[in-house]
Amino acid sequence: MRLLALTTSFLLAQPAWALDPAALVDTAINSHILPGFTTLTEATGTLKNTATEDCASDSATLRAAYHEGFDAWMAVSHLRFGPTEEDERAFSLAFWPDTKGFTPKSLSKLITSEDPAVLNAEAFAEVSIAAHGFFALEFLLYDDRIQSLGSDAYRCTLIQAVTNDIDRNANAILADWHTGYADLMRTPSKDGRYTTDLAAVAELFKTLDTGLQFNEEARLGRPLGTFDKPRPLRAEARRSERSLQNITVSLASLEQLARILAAQTPTPAKSLKGAFSLALGHATELEDDPSFAGVANIQGRLRVEILQQYIGNIRSFVLLELGPALDVTAGFNALDGD
Amino acid sequence: MVTRRRMLAGLAATSLLPSAGWSSVGTPDYLSAARTQNGTYLLAGLTVAGEITFTIPLPARGHAAAAHPERAEAVAFARRPGTFALVMDCRDGTIILTLTAPEGRHFYGHGAFSADGSTLFTSENDYEAGEGRIGLWDITQNYTRIGEFSSGGVGPHDLKLMPDGETLVVANGGIETHPDMGRSKLNIPVMQPNLSYVSLAGEILEQIELTARLHKNSIRHLAVRQDGMVAFAMQWQGSKSDTHPLLGLHQRGSKAKLLSASPKAQQQLQGYAGSVALSNDGGLVAITSPRGNVLHVFDTETGQPSAILSAKDVCGIGPTATGFLFTTGTGHIGTLSEETAQHPLQWDNHLIDISHNR
Repeated sequence: MRLLALTTSFLLAQPAWALDPAALVDTAINSHILPGFTTLTEATGTLKNTATEDCASDSATLRAAYHEGFDAWMAVSHLRFGPTEEDERAFSLAFWPDTKGFTPKSLSKLITSEDPAVLNAEAFAEVSIAAHGFFALEFLLYDDRIQSLGSDAYRCTLIQAVTNDIDRNANAILADWHTGYADLMRTPSKDGRYTTDLAAVAELFKTLDTGLQFNEEARLGRPLGTFDKPRPLRAEARRSERSLQNITVSLASLEQLARILAAQTPTPAKSLKGAFSLALGHATELEDDPSFAGVANIQGRLRVEILQQYIGNIRSFVLLELGPALDVTAGFNALDGD
Repeated sequence: MVTRRRMLAGLAATSLLPSAGWSSVGTPDYLSAARTQNGTYLLAGLTVAGEITFTIPLPARGHAAAAHPERAEAVAFARRPGTFALVMDCRDGTIILTLTAPEGRHFYGHGAFSADGSTLFTSENDYEAGEGRIGLWDITQNYTRIGEFSSGGVGPHDLKLMPDGETLVVANGGIETHPDMGRSKLNIPVMQPNLSYVSLAGEILEQIELTARLHKNSIRHLAVRQDGMVAFAMQWQGSKSDTHPLLGLHQRGSKAKLLSASPKAQQQLQGYAGSVALSNDGGLVAITSPRGNVLHVFDTETGQPSAILSAKDVCGIGPTATGFLFTTGTGHIGTLSEETAQHPLQWDNHLIDISHNR
């Protein structure tokens, strides 16, 4: 067989860069990523300690700690690269969507069989990922059927195991950021995960876009379903009535990231500011429908659809203005994902 | 409209066509979808020299196509989660028919014909159940939907007819999606891709799963050698801190062999192989990575890397006699040794080889 040259290079365009990408990365890490994960570990620490003291599913302090922890997770839930992707940490914290009902199934199985894995953190880390995280905790605190299963004592221990595991994962993520990943992003190298500062900016840009996309398509798209078949029971975290809250917390955090990434490019910065303010403003008008139950009727549906369109509007500014300004727009096929 | 589905009996038949169409510039060797500069979409016929022989407008972004084994007829599929597929006369670009996915199904963008050309098989999503299906269309009855069976997994993507003419090989990517949620992936932590061999009656004959450690390696695209060896390309859905093989070779009855370049070269692929092809002599296999702007070629006998080529947004790839022709999202067309053509088009994911169909 004919021997081929091992590396032939052509058709590669060199992008021009007039901005300071290293500064963008630095600000994102210092003002967005590290504070976000620090807040998360503080909230999950409180959640764990609260559950240790009071594990009754109707406990007001436990439920408050759950909401605070969930808020803190939502504010970083778009940062899906690096430390969150090790050992399934992000999925362990939030197993959603759960299209096949694995969370209630796994919890039922643990409770009815009184699985001793809840007594040991390492053993619990190995049980089904669907029985971990904020969504499992939501079932344990708010779902009537799960609360009717087994004994109070076992469910109490299970709540403590879940909150303990949430805290363990949150701390593992923060530790990875502190002990290496932040430096990896700040100091690109030829053999590293990021070969240039621009590659690190591209990672942050992608995380902004996919975070918006998830709000638009999953958090809103799932309950909206189709006009003929709305799906209110598919709203995220509807049992604890925080479907809308998840979106507003996530959007507020995504706005912070967008502002950081647009700091050196005034035109996209202005467009994004307007677009976020439109979406967040409209979200306040939905406060009487915290779990999107309203999608089942025409009026309620319309309001939720408008929020979805406003998020789509933010995305188009991200893709059409911010991406080209930062020179991180991926190619036609690179973006396709098929 | 039976009269429009003419048999292509060599050049004599082509010359009888009322419109010159592409017959004046020659017969296409490949099909590819593309996006034009003004944002519209089309399907094009391409020669091995990179010349465009015809273009047909598409109503939305296309993905792949399937070519009829005898007639100069091709079916172009909408991009996931599209519900249309166009049956086209490749001699003049006439649209013969539009196939619409049945209620509760959408196409994944790939299809394959039976050896006698009487049936079209399409990869589809039963999205309420979150299960993969293979749709059956009877060509002798003007592409009537005649049935469907399980694809053997979730998220079937590419499928090919095996050389025995009696078996389909299906890449069940493992990823659950629902059209209400766009292209959002719904089951990454529990995804379970497989490679399934299915009889034309829907019987699952053999299934290959990778080791549990690789359960996030979505098996998406296929190429089949005349002796039945299947090359499959994968897309990694997990953490990018480690690299994973993105190309596998499989012969029925044996274990899959996974092929990797050096860790550094492998890293460049960004965990994403967009297309796969085998050279016509069967000696080489190649995957493209539009995210890594790179193309990897391996020797099928030794499993060792034999070439690495950089090309921005490269994705479509098809066989030539001893190598490959590739296309890019920047409009370029090239072989392993030279750039052959450039068009003011963004070539889409796949370059479908139709040279064996004449």
